Amino acid sequence: MEVEAKIREKAKELLESKAVDVVIGFEKGTLPLRSTPAFIRDSSETDRLVWNSFCENNLATYLNKLKGQKVAIVAKGCDSRSVVALAVERQIKREDVFVIGVPCRGMLDRRRIEEAVGFEILSALESDGKLVVKSVDSERTLDREDFLFPSCRSCRHRNPVIYDFLAGEKVEESEVDEFELVREFESKPPEERWEYFKKAFEDCLRCYACREACPFCYCEECFVDSSRPKWIEKGLDETDVQIWHIVRAYHHAGRCVDCGACERACPMGIDLRFLTQKLNKDVKELFGFETGLDPSVQPPLSTFSLQDPDDFK
Amino acid sequence: MKKIIEKAKFADFVGTLLSDYEVFAPVKNENGLVLFSRISSPEEIFLDFRNSKKPPKEFLFPQVETLFEYEPGKVKVPSVEAIAQRRLFLCVRPCDVKSFLILDEVFDTEEFQDVYYVTRRRNTTILAMGCVDPPSTCFCTTFDEMGPFSREGADAFLVDIGDRFLIETLTERGESLPLESLPDASDEDVQTAEDVEKKAVEKVDRKLELSKLGEKLDGMFESPFWDALHEKCLTCGVCTYLCPTCHCFDISDEALDSKGRRVRNWDSCMFPLFTLQASGHNPRPTSKERMRQRIMHKFNYFYKNYGVYACVGCGRCVENCPVNLDIRKVLEGILSL
Amino acid sequence: MAENFEPKIVAFLCNWCSYAAADLAGTSRIQYPPNVRIVRVPCSGRVNPIFVIKAFQSGVDGVLVAGCHPGDCHYQNGNYFARRRFALLKRLLEYIGFDNERLHLAWVSAAEGGKFADVIREVVESVRKLGPIEKLVKRDEVLKDGS
Repeated sequence: MEVEAKIREKAKELLESKAVDVVIGFEKGTLPLRSTPAFIRDSSETDRLVWNSFCENNLATYLNKLKGQKVAIVAKGCDSRSVVALAVERQIKREDVFVIGVPCRGMLDRRRIEEAVGFEILSALESDGKLVVKSVDSERTLDREDFLFPSCRSCRHRNPVIYDFLAGEKVEESEVDEFELVREFESKPPEERWEYFKKAFEDCLRCYACREACPFCYCEECFVDSSRPKWIEKGLDETDVQIWHIVRAYHHAGRCVDCGACERACPMGIDLRFLTQKLNKDVKELFGFETGLDPSVQPPLSTFSLQDPDDFK
Repeated sequence: MKKIIEKAKFADFVGTLLSDYEVFAPVKNENGLVLFSRISSPEEIFLDFRNSKKPPKEFLFPQVETLFEYEPGKVKVPSVEAIAQRRLFLCVRPCDVKSFLILDEVFDTEEFQDVYYVTRRRNTTILAMGCVDPPSTCFCTTFDEMGPFSREGADAFLVDIGDRFLIETLTERGESLPLESLPDASDEDVQTAEDVEKKAVEKVDRKLELSKLGEKLDGMFESPFWDALHEKCLTCGVCTYLCPTCHCFDISDEALDSKGRRVRNWDSCMFPLFTLQASGHNPRPTSKERMRQRIMHKFNYFYKNYGVYACVGCGRCVENCPVNLDIRKVLEGILSL
Repeated sequence: MAENFEPKIVAFLCNWCSYAAADLAGTSRIQYPPNVRIVRVPCSGRVNPIFVIKAFQSGVDGVLVAGCHPGDCHYQNGNYFARRRFALLKRLLEYIGFDNERLHLAWVSAAEGGKFADVIREVVESVRKLGPIEKLVKRDEVLKDGS
């Protein structure tokens, strides 16, 4: 894999020259259809790095934990936007992060793949837009395009928006309407929307995988952990769960890059982008802002315009 | 005794159970998740599953439990009768059954019995079901006397032998299940069941050799091993909440002025608040200390205190960890040091 | 709903403009419905959207957030931030199917005692039509105190 070879080569060079302390990338997972984040500090270990359709995590979340170190990070389009936005929010110094940008054709949803084939997958092989999955006595060939994560299907930034090194040829950007589902939902009657909302968050365990997977949940004290004042309880009361998700999404207004890491981390398969996508659409339409594209633009809720739309009577 | 239930007659059998017990069985919910849930009709049961997303521990140790309610001058404790109904856990996997025995070590001891847990536990009959086709994430055979057909802790046991189930009673409670009208299992049935069992046990071959584990862990508190291990951990609570043996909890008062209730909620050693002290100091500030604690607790301290590992090899943490931090790989790493 | 349903309204009023307007309505003896409980904040920019959501969770039927007219904020620009925040919150609540008419936003200057009373009247009537709040409110028998 060309891209993989380039990532490894660059990582080796950066570590040997001590340009960085650590390279954050992906390595082979312990299950088929999975890669796992890797933290490489030794230039002799760069062959652990891989690149495939299962590099689903947003590695930018780890930048919050490695402040002060010089870090190289393997970044897809969405991840690179996270890096820009974290620098705008002054959580990282741009000069401390070396972005190994990787043009991305989207990551594959392992849960949907498993559901579609019906058997336990023991090995998977990708080539030329196809995925061949096998169990002990069964095999199926799938079309990659049918199993992209929802966030990848509506992605308009497959190529990294910033990079210090580009590990591959740029890919064609899609002209997809990323807010098509939001628009469709907006046209439904209110009661139907309320029922969907209630049902969507019914299975939430309050495990906070969504929070921890997101690069922008870096608050030292999350509002759910506050006891003075105690905003919501920690149990499973439906209104507490609903408010947890409403407020979490709201806290990401103008900060979410729609990488989908929250949705992929959730063990219960909750449609977490349902709320954040609405906020992304409103932020774009009301304030002309898209997260992580322009390092010189302030996030929308840190600023204002005299011409802002006015709902106040 | 060993009896046969034709699969075509299984719904009838469940019907008779429903008239005698509150039945908790695997169900596929509207969002496609297989979860244990209280059923009101046999049609709700879903048996084409490897294991449920959430472990059934929540029916003995609920995620949210009201300990008591209070207002000025009055305290109202939930009545024991309210949680003492006859219950049946149906088609629970052997790993989850074993987890109840592990939870017993914590909540049902000689010196102390947690009334909320113990009342439920003592009123629950367990009809377990063997795993005919264990997934590759399972490693139950690692633990003493455990396996996809381990009967430990069950009152009765179901084996799927094709168009029928073999049901075997194991305890007095098991004997009291409504089985009189069922035909006895033939020698052939028994043999088929044994063959199915043998195949399943062979399949769970990711068996770790744990005899030296305690010794290794004892010397490892300051080891650099933890430095490499922890970095990708997100410190979310997925592994702890989906683990059948994790049992940490937080007690919280939900109150409005002077009226309220005290609740017990599940808590996770991975959460930032778990060891946060009032001074602001946190002895486990990062994922390193928390991962170390998780491994030490489950595989060293718990074993030393109770003689059993706080892990049943169900593989839920392996399957669901958002960053594929695989506990089997961690243990293999420790054992190879 | 019962014809004598009296909605409970919480109003977050900025100290320098809308709270002063409420004061002026009072000293001018302008009558307005008694359904509103006022929370005085230094500036509409102080109002955290979670205050509004929490109010609904605790059973309040309607919420008003009022501040100085854009350009007249005592702190120069607090109300501009409020304008952006509540534009997003209002649309988000509507999106999830919540009754949009429960959240009201108004600019009321310290001289507009009459306008303040008009705004309250309008808020009370539009929330009365919606009936008692049912969505997002915590149904908690233990904590109900009957009031």
